[in-house]
Amino acid sequence: MEIGHHPGIPYHEAPSDLPPDHRLSPGEWVRQNLFNNWYNSLISVVMGLGLAFALVQTLDWALTSDFLIIRRNLALFMVGQFPRDELWRVWASLYLLVGASGFGSGVLFRSEQADAEEKGLPVETHSWSEMLRRFWAIVAISIFFVSFARTLLPYLGLVVGFGLFVVGRELGRRLSPALRTRGLFLSGLAGLASLLVLAGTGGLGALAVGGLLGVWTLSEVRNYAEQHGVGSGQPVPVSRRVWRWHIRYPFKRRVGARLASWVAGVVVGVIAWFVLRTVDLSGFGWDDWGGLHLTLFVTVVGISAGFPVGVLLALGRQSKLQVVKGICVVFIEFSRGVPLISLLLFSSFMLPLLFPITFGIPGPLTRAMIVVTAFSAAYIAEIVRGGLQAVPRGQIEAAQAGGMSVARIQRLIVLPQALRAVIPALVGQFISLLKDTSLLSIIGLLEFLQTSDVANAQTEFLGQGLVAVTYPFVALGYWAFAYTMSKESRRVEERLGVGVR
Amino acid sequence: MLGRLLLLVIGLVVIAAVFLVVRFVVDKITRRDTSDRPPPWRDQNVLSLAAQVVALGLIVTVGAWLWSNFRDRTDAIGLELTFGFLDQPSGISIADNPVSSNAGIRDAIQQGVKNTFLIILLGIPLSVLFGTLIGVARLSSNWLLQKLATAYVEFFRNIPPLLVIVFLWGAVFLNFPAGSGRTAEAAWRPFGGWFIFSNNRFAFPSIIGLDNFGLYRLLILASVVTAVGVWVWRTRVFNNTGASPRRVMWSLTTLVVLGLAFFFALGGPFEFSKTTVEDRIWSGGFRMQMPYAAVMLALVIYTASHIAEIVRGSILAVHKGQVEASHALALNGLQRYRFVILPQAFRIAFPPLINHFLNYTKNSSLAVAIGFQETTSIINNLFGNSQPAPQLLLILMLIYLTFSLILSAIGNLINGRLQMKGA
Repeated sequence: MEIGHHPGIPYHEAPSDLPPDHRLSPGEWVRQNLFNNWYNSLISVVMGLGLAFALVQTLDWALTSDFLIIRRNLALFMVGQFPRDELWRVWASLYLLVGASGFGSGVLFRSEQADAEEKGLPVETHSWSEMLRRFWAIVAISIFFVSFARTLLPYLGLVVGFGLFVVGRELGRRLSPALRTRGLFLSGLAGLASLLVLAGTGGLGALAVGGLLGVWTLSEVRNYAEQHGVGSGQPVPVSRRVWRWHIRYPFKRRVGARLASWVAGVVVGVIAWFVLRTVDLSGFGWDDWGGLHLTLFVTVVGISAGFPVGVLLALGRQSKLQVVKGICVVFIEFSRGVPLISLLLFSSFMLPLLFPITFGIPGPLTRAMIVVTAFSAAYIAEIVRGGLQAVPRGQIEAAQAGGMSVARIQRLIVLPQALRAVIPALVGQFISLLKDTSLLSIIGLLEFLQTSDVANAQTEFLGQGLVAVTYPFVALGYWAFAYTMSKESRRVEERLGVGVR
Repeated sequence: MLGRLLLLVIGLVVIAAVFLVVRFVVDKITRRDTSDRPPPWRDQNVLSLAAQVVALGLIVTVGAWLWSNFRDRTDAIGLELTFGFLDQPSGISIADNPVSSNAGIRDAIQQGVKNTFLIILLGIPLSVLFGTLIGVARLSSNWLLQKLATAYVEFFRNIPPLLVIVFLWGAVFLNFPAGSGRTAEAAWRPFGGWFIFSNNRFAFPSIIGLDNFGLYRLLILASVVTAVGVWVWRTRVFNNTGASPRRVMWSLTTLVVLGLAFFFALGGPFEFSKTTVEDRIWSGGFRMQMPYAAVMLALVIYTASHIAEIVRGSILAVHKGQVEASHALALNGLQRYRFVILPQAFRIAFPPLINHFLNYTKNSSLAVAIGFQETTSIINNLFGNSQPAPQLLLILMLIYLTFSLILSAIGNLINGRLQMKGA
């Protein structure tokens, strides 16, 4: 085998004598790319025959197989045992989520554009065909999944979902710059609300919404204070704002405004938390969840809850305090050294024994979520550590020379640079966690892979070897998300120029 | 918990007070000049000490709280925290294994570790081999081969390894002809029954020793040493004269000739053994359980897709001048890869490969899903037999930590030998 000539590969066997814009005729192309020497011809023939055989077999299988098992169980694959009377909640939550993510992505896109304009960098133009090219796998797979539906409703649902994403993104792009932060908060809130529609409120959901509302209030109050008294009224980027605040305004006013914003944030957050806790929308919790929905949910929670913990662990591992460093190293190395299954077995056999005896034991999904969060935190910590090590020493020294405190150096100088550099690796971690959630089936949770076994255990389909139909179906579901994410991570990597600088 | 936290705070305050007083007294006694020392709340040394004491205190408090919860619960269900249960009968029968279900749990776990080791032993070299082939194919000048390799990588990298395992087992291997019970005759037996493929075992011939087998083994060892000697001799000839060494041919011929000569001289010290199936009992030959093959092959397929990407990246990272130089020396494609590109690419590829070997080891625990009895699977069975979970979990995690440590130690050792000295 030889390294060939195709774009992106630096070795050119024989630089072409032809002018660069010469278009090869089909015959020439085939000769150059398939039959340029005897062993390539041999490989082409063997591979071509094999491929043709596989295609014929697959086509034959696809045309003659009975996909009844998927048609009957589409809801099982998507949402597990979620009460069928309540399926409207799934749609409502999906719409909220899709609309919110469209809106959020639109806002982010526009603010990135504005940023690039300000810095004089090349500005990316918005195009829907580009979006389709980036996300074709997810779009195609959702259409494929819905095509197994027996009623018209899911088709309509899909169309409305895509429509909402488009509308949300267009709205987000047109949002005035002053409202951008609020817009992002709002889409985050809508995303959380989508989960509440599904699981009712209650402890964690209420806490999350309360927390988000509190942070929102805090930032609003601080903005207000800055514009009417402590600040100049000119909107400035957050990082610079802190400095101005420090230098220009006397201690009392600064601290007063800061204290007021914190008090307001905490009060609003706590009130929202308590009010929401008393409101119970549905009467069922997330232990009813299942299927693809559960898989995606556990992944998102594992990454987003593991992220702050992971950053703290990474900072702890870099710390000069030997005790803190030791604790973090032991936790990280232990979690990374054992298989996830052993941790999941821990969650189902050992974790219940660690709660106080006066306390109830949380459900299996909650326990699994705790373990998954700890697991992903350990991996994220190692990723973030790589980013931390890549921040030039001079940055920290300059900050120290400027008289910044340790916490402020980390927050304003080190972390922004470190985290920016590790975004692609974090997406990679997201993909591997998505794949790892399939292990939840081993401790008996009804995630996406397990739905296939449940469907095959139904009396109607038992013992007919229909796993040969359901496993590929499930595989496509995983593949669409993981593939899209991995392409996105490569794109981000190119745009950030990681490894180039 | 609140009480403990209160205790912690009080303890910390007391420690701080004692520290300050002691320091004050020591300063007074030694008459040290403390005028240029910052106050304790700005003293870097004091602050870092304080932070560590607080961290340690917090960890100890939380740990003690969890431990007391744990003891409360274990006392309530009457769980003993000893390792005496390891000698009880396990109640697990392991396929193709002399350890009976009456043997102790200790033995069952040992067999599990052995099976895990078998998955690793065969699987890691296979995945490196396969991954390298795919990685090289991704850079092929043959359009079809390159696209197929890319499709392979992009597909298997993005689906869960567990799915590959259950698919290979449930949708492929289980569809093989039945191989146990009365229907064992249905199994596919190519080459006059020397090989048997069925849905629970794959059997091929092995050798069993007759008279003089011990002596024969010694002589074979001697032949191998001789063959290595021939290899060294041919290398020297090549180094001294530049004549074509043909090392492989010389050594192999030596080995085969000597082996055959000794075989006939000793009057046939071994014979081939064929697997037979009678009443569900498989005997003779070399038998591989199908679940083992499923786990091992599925993990090879999955891991190879990752290794292919590493190999591809490493090949692209080999300096362009090296490749051009090999062109200038008129090496052909195979020689270029064998002597110039791959040796340098593997030097780059090895550190990330170690990571994938570790992942492979951890993924071998997925065998639990299809019931191949390796470590995780056996311990999971023991949970089902209501054996004490905390101790078993500890053992399970320690076993995998040991595997990870040993493997990364070996990997680092090899890596140390691979890297260029003084670079």
